[in-house]
Amino acid sequence: MKFQFDIADRGRTIEVQRKTAGYSVAVDGRARLVDAVRVGPQTWSLIVRHPESGEVSSVEATVVPQNGNGAVDVYIDGHRITVAQRTGLGRRARAAEGSHGAGPQRVTAPMPGKVIRVLVAAGDEVQPRQGLVVVEAMKMENELRAARAGRVKEIFVQEGQSVEAGTVLAVVE
Amino acid sequence: MKILVANRGEIAIRIMRACREMGLASVAVYSDCDREAPHVRYANEAHPIGPSEPVKSYLNIDRLLDVARRSGATAVHPGYGFLAENPAFARAVTDAGLTFIGPTADAIALMGSKVAARRAAIRAGVPVVPGTEAPLGSEATDAEIAAIAESIGYPLLVKAVAGGGGKGMRTVASPAELAAAVQTARSEAGSAFGDTAVYIERQLERPRHVEVQLLGDLHGTVLPFVERECSIQRRHQKVIEEAPSLAVTPSLRSALASCAASIARGVGYTSAGTIEFLLDARGEFYFLEMNTRLQVEHPVTEMVTGVDLVSWQIRIARGERLTLDPDSLLTPRGHAVECRVYAEDPDSGFMPSPGRITGLRVPHGPGVRDDSGAYEGGEVPIFYDPMISKLITWGETRPQALARMRRALAEYEVRGIKTTIPFFQWVLTDADFIAGRFDTGFIDRKLSARNGAPLREASEAQQELAAIAAALSHVTSAATAPTAMAPAGSSRWKDRARSDAVRGGGH
Repeated sequence: MKFQFDIADRGRTIEVQRKTAGYSVAVDGRARLVDAVRVGPQTWSLIVRHPESGEVSSVEATVVPQNGNGAVDVYIDGHRITVAQRTGLGRRARAAEGSHGAGPQRVTAPMPGKVIRVLVAAGDEVQPRQGLVVVEAMKMENELRAARAGRVKEIFVQEGQSVEAGTVLAVVE
Repeated sequence: MKILVANRGEIAIRIMRACREMGLASVAVYSDCDREAPHVRYANEAHPIGPSEPVKSYLNIDRLLDVARRSGATAVHPGYGFLAENPAFARAVTDAGLTFIGPTADAIALMGSKVAARRAAIRAGVPVVPGTEAPLGSEATDAEIAAIAESIGYPLLVKAVAGGGGKGMRTVASPAELAAAVQTARSEAGSAFGDTAVYIERQLERPRHVEVQLLGDLHGTVLPFVERECSIQRRHQKVIEEAPSLAVTPSLRSALASCAASIARGVGYTSAGTIEFLLDARGEFYFLEMNTRLQVEHPVTEMVTGVDLVSWQIRIARGERLTLDPDSLLTPRGHAVECRVYAEDPDSGFMPSPGRITGLRVPHGPGVRDDSGAYEGGEVPIFYDPMISKLITWGETRPQALARMRRALAEYEVRGIKTTIPFFQWVLTDADFIAGRFDTGFIDRKLSARNGAPLREASEAQQELAAIAAALSHVTSAATAPTAMAPAGSSRWKDRARSDAVRGGGH
């Protein structure tokens, strides 16, 4: 089976062939021999051998699917590494509110809480990292900021309002 | 003695562990969202105290006393946070004929007021940071506050009189920021402590935060412990603590200890408490405040002195005399460090990351202690402090304690929510941190210098392994029969388990 993955914004091609003992895996064309044993519901013990150098690495990896998008989070050595599936349509769309690129930024509440203060009004020019809305959750006030410079198009919340995770608070263009 | 633990999370379990070791029964209380919480399961009995909002449950004195009566508890331990430093609670507990495992209500009221505590320090002959004499209540006008701020000098700190844990505290660099900082501090202090009074204090140039743990018994003995170093703070909230401090020489240690003890003796202090100091680059120190409770970071003191502070709180409350050797308390054995693991996303401004912990792998091994309230399948509620665990390591030397911490952090996996583990992995490899070159502004400066760059990136080799793991997981989940999910390995694994069983178990 052949997979096209995106990891940390880099594409990788993985080809897997089942062997009598373990798997033969090609990572961007480089051969690896993998002995894989499932040791928990989502956890694998992998022993990976590089045939050309003879180098062997042993690692425990836990593979947790993300919600519905085909991507998985792989936990290795205290790292969480997101492995996204590249679809036939090309690289999957980046979240609209990301800090890269153009287009309006939708600033959303990352957790449920209460709007304590609204720091800007529609029409205001804002600088990168300027605070827009203060949401109280878990006993702390959290300032939600603009990712990049722009003009506030609309504010959707008022002071005192309760918000759910994912509620759009403001749009900056 | 039967002890009601008026708290939740890791500290409730910490106290119940001491109860079990002492052969005492423990009573848990829980709010609606905490029915499944580990402190409920760990206790000998458990009682509901109301809705999840803290004011309706963990801060509800009447409900707590009602549970104490119904359960036949004879003593109450408040933990830290919630009602731990509320003198009305301590008084209500003793008025109900129960033992409060902590200082007296009077001592909490006196030292809990930052302004009265400063006066107590001055009376004991201990230097204090320049600041306001009297609290600024809500009646103080902006102009009055500005005039006071001018006389103290900038940069300064606005702090809640009833504050703690970085809540209700703001740094002010110039007069223009003052009014907004006062407003925020008041609003945070009002919602966290029900008291909007603030005071103003000069901010020292790059100070370190060092603090002295104390125990006082009911017979007039007060004993100070070796200092804790708590300069690694993010927005005035401690995130890494260690003991001892690299900045404290033996002579400075004895000066800090005797100043701390004389403040505590001057107010007749009993039970566990902590005197906090700021230490400047010249080795001059200033009284900052007193915490009249067991502190979050108490384990680092326990690790380098071998003393169980919670057990001693209980023994003191029972009227026992402190029989610890004063010299050994000031002579650290090895080095200990603690990381406070929070359900926060360090890569997006430390936003809270509540939710379900879908998987958990906890570190073990030599010199590792994990004081945790987290469990697999458990929900981190939005209602409470987002700290899920305290990871503590001990080593013969500081480098060994740090190496163990790095090792333990790599073993620690909390899946399903974001945590501050990657943040600690980053700090623990910082050359200035490793060399001990830091002050209370260290983390905020280092973080702002990163300007939002990801804290930690997996290596090329780790990314490749992740790709292989992801591919194999897709391959096997595409197969139909569950037995096909772990082809060659599964049977071998079972064979191994079988042969281990035949030989009489594993190793």
